[in-house]
Amino acid sequence: MDGLTYALTAVTTPSTVLAAAGGVLWGILGGALPGLSPSIAMALLLPFTFDMSPLAAIIMLTGVYIGAEYGGSIPAILIRTPGTNAAAATVIDGYTLHQQGRGGEALGLSLVAGTIAGLVGLICLVLLTAPLSALALYFKPPAYFALAFLGLSIIAALSEGSLVKGLIMGVIGLMVSTVGTDPLSGVTRFTFDEPDLLGGIDYIFVMLGVFAVAELMSKVAEKDGGDGGITKTVARVKLPSLQKLWELRRAQAIGTAVGIIEGPIPGAGGTVAAFLSYNETKRWSKTPEKFGKGSEEGVVAPEAANNAVTSSALIPTLSFGIPGSNSMAILLGGLLIHGIQPGPMLLSSRPDLVYGLFGGLFMSNIFMLIFGLLVLGPAIWLVNRPKPYLTAGIFMVVLSGIYVINQSLFDFWIVLAAGIIGYGMRLLKFPVLPLILGIVLGYMVESNYRRSLLLTNGEHRVFFENPLSLGLLICAGLIIGMAILSEIRRFRRSGVEVHG
Amino acid sequence: MKHHGIRGLLGAAAVAASLVAAPPVLADYPVQTVRLITHSSPGGGMDVFLRKIGQHLGPIMGVHFVVESVTGSGGAAAMAAVANGPKDGSVFYGSTPTHIITSLLSNPSVTYEEMEPVVNLFNDPQTVYVLTESPYQTLGDVVAAAKENPSSIVVSVSTPGSLDRQVMEEFQTLTDSSMIVLTHDGGGDAILSVLNGTAQVGVSEIAELRGQMEAGKVRIIATYTDERVPGIGDVPTAKEQGYDLVISKFRGIAGAKDLPPEVIAAWEEGVAKLMEDPEFRAWYEAEGLQNAYQTQAEAVAAREAFVTSLQAFFEKFDIN
Repeated sequence: MDGLTYALTAVTTPSTVLAAAGGVLWGILGGALPGLSPSIAMALLLPFTFDMSPLAAIIMLTGVYIGAEYGGSIPAILIRTPGTNAAAATVIDGYTLHQQGRGGEALGLSLVAGTIAGLVGLICLVLLTAPLSALALYFKPPAYFALAFLGLSIIAALSEGSLVKGLIMGVIGLMVSTVGTDPLSGVTRFTFDEPDLLGGIDYIFVMLGVFAVAELMSKVAEKDGGDGGITKTVARVKLPSLQKLWELRRAQAIGTAVGIIEGPIPGAGGTVAAFLSYNETKRWSKTPEKFGKGSEEGVVAPEAANNAVTSSALIPTLSFGIPGSNSMAILLGGLLIHGIQPGPMLLSSRPDLVYGLFGGLFMSNIFMLIFGLLVLGPAIWLVNRPKPYLTAGIFMVVLSGIYVINQSLFDFWIVLAAGIIGYGMRLLKFPVLPLILGIVLGYMVESNYRRSLLLTNGEHRVFFENPLSLGLLICAGLIIGMAILSEIRRFRRSGVEVHG
Repeated sequence: MKHHGIRGLLGAAAVAASLVAAPPVLADYPVQTVRLITHSSPGGGMDVFLRKIGQHLGPIMGVHFVVESVTGSGGAAAMAAVANGPKDGSVFYGSTPTHIITSLLSNPSVTYEEMEPVVNLFNDPQTVYVLTESPYQTLGDVVAAAKENPSSIVVSVSTPGSLDRQVMEEFQTLTDSSMIVLTHDGGGDAILSVLNGTAQVGVSEIAELRGQMEAGKVRIIATYTDERVPGIGDVPTAKEQGYDLVISKFRGIAGAKDLPPEVIAAWEEGVAKLMEDPEFRAWYEAEGLQNAYQTQAEAVAAREAFVTSLQAFFEKFDIN
């Protein structure tokens, strides 16, 4: 088989092996730094790839992407700050596990789950490039709307116990997402003539605020009692045993499957995949009550999902030349600089490149496992430093990370404001995740809802006539229905006390 | 620690870049190193364009070119860096219609008016394309279908404030027809909408379409240019088909106002030579770019005409 030969050549050529190793290491570090998203980590490295061979360049860039998606889970688990958007779902149970002194286990789970998912995703990439590319084509505006709506329906499940509070936060999130330039007509909305608001409020800043800054504020507010507190807990890296992995197979499978399906859909990406898989795993889990209270499955599922995305997101980029996310857009740019035009002809015109990339992806996933282990020790050591240093240090890293993104002070204020609001939400026990989901999905829901209606002159029928859209809407209906049912059940069980 | 990593890498990048490009330095140009600034991110269209210029114009003008990407504030940050930079010919901006559109739409602190065109190099032809198996062979077919059954034709364009959208809105007025103009978040999404049948017709630049064209998935039925574009088959222009619409999506170089005349002269002369450089020519022709070289005087006039038509469009469609 020719393809295998190309892949083997890539795996045994020193320059490509080095490119994969360097890319992954940089990706893990970049991903772990809040504010440096995978795409920014890739962009920073891009100029270095100009003089490389096209294959080494693309392997290095995908290596960064793979490493960064894993790296994002490190601060998510250790300091309640998702290093990347897609690690936001990992915060829920990962950080809880860390508070219980099991941070090392959580990190090990995230690493192994991510590696397995990445490798399974790679197999799918190799086998299913053609059929899965077709999937991206079936996604028309109504289906996109339904997909985003399905994502929003998770709010119902994520805010269990306080559905109303969850809805309030979700709606606020949706409102925030309307700031900026109207997606269809180009009219500006709620920008108050402020150029910085034209592009809308980027959810990474809100996320950094409500997660990181709010967490730091409540840390500072805590009494620094001699013993208690997580800073004293010594957590060691602990890779899961095979038996443990077998026990967690359901979460692994769900996360991987959701990631592989979401990856090729432009615009969906790792964040949506991580949340969807978290929710699905919770539904199918034998111990759903542990979710939010330190469930291992709650770490495995989103981390498997966001790493599976790294493989399958390449499908539309390579086969259509259409990037589904910022990271993929930068990869595309990297290819174009080398005069390579991704598209339907790429596989036949440059099989060396495509199969070589597959070999490179395999290496990158292995390197992720190796470097992941090496990085974890120092990372855990870092978070076990005395609290005052740690808090100040994290503040510095988070705030400088913000500045790296756009070199804009305006973003600073957004993060600080979101931090204060997030702190208030914690005190009042409002859930944070619905807010994030609202902001992340608001644009996608709105633009595709309106696009669909524009196409049909305002006929809502279209959402039920498109089979993909119908299927996704039914799923969303089920999720909402089940959440309402369980709310009613709990209400009956505990009577009026719920209001207390 | 991680920050040291980034800084170190960037520093290393600067050193590496200066080692790689070391052309013989001529005495004419007042500075040795010229920064070319773009708002586009590394790997974006403008970034690639400026790198190609730097690569081939460097030896001609005897200058080191460094491409810098200044993102943020919807492109306003990059404009500010150029307009407020030194006026000695050491900082320039890769200009496209985008910076004028941004200036008009978002009232940034620095607008295109604080900059002056230096030279224009290319026209990026806007084309109308359909799926290969589509029944439409000409613009006339599309108009006829739209007239027979209003709203049966969906036209896929990139962003709401883009030239693609502008030209299709004007096309409807011109032909007195009614179509649905579907805007997207970017050019890639817009092509996908045509590929999956959401839209029947699309408007795009050639470079973005090339992969699909080579695969035989799409076919160009018209170009909004003055003359036929080579390398895409023998496609008649919209003008030839009886629709007098020409869209100039220029690509050029702009700088701060009142730059020294010898700087402008050096650019005009250097770029005129560059356009004839065989390697550079091979690159831009493969990209589907048309040689549309303009001296500063011509580029300034072209910009004024462009702004006037753009303002009329924004006013008409209430884009502000």
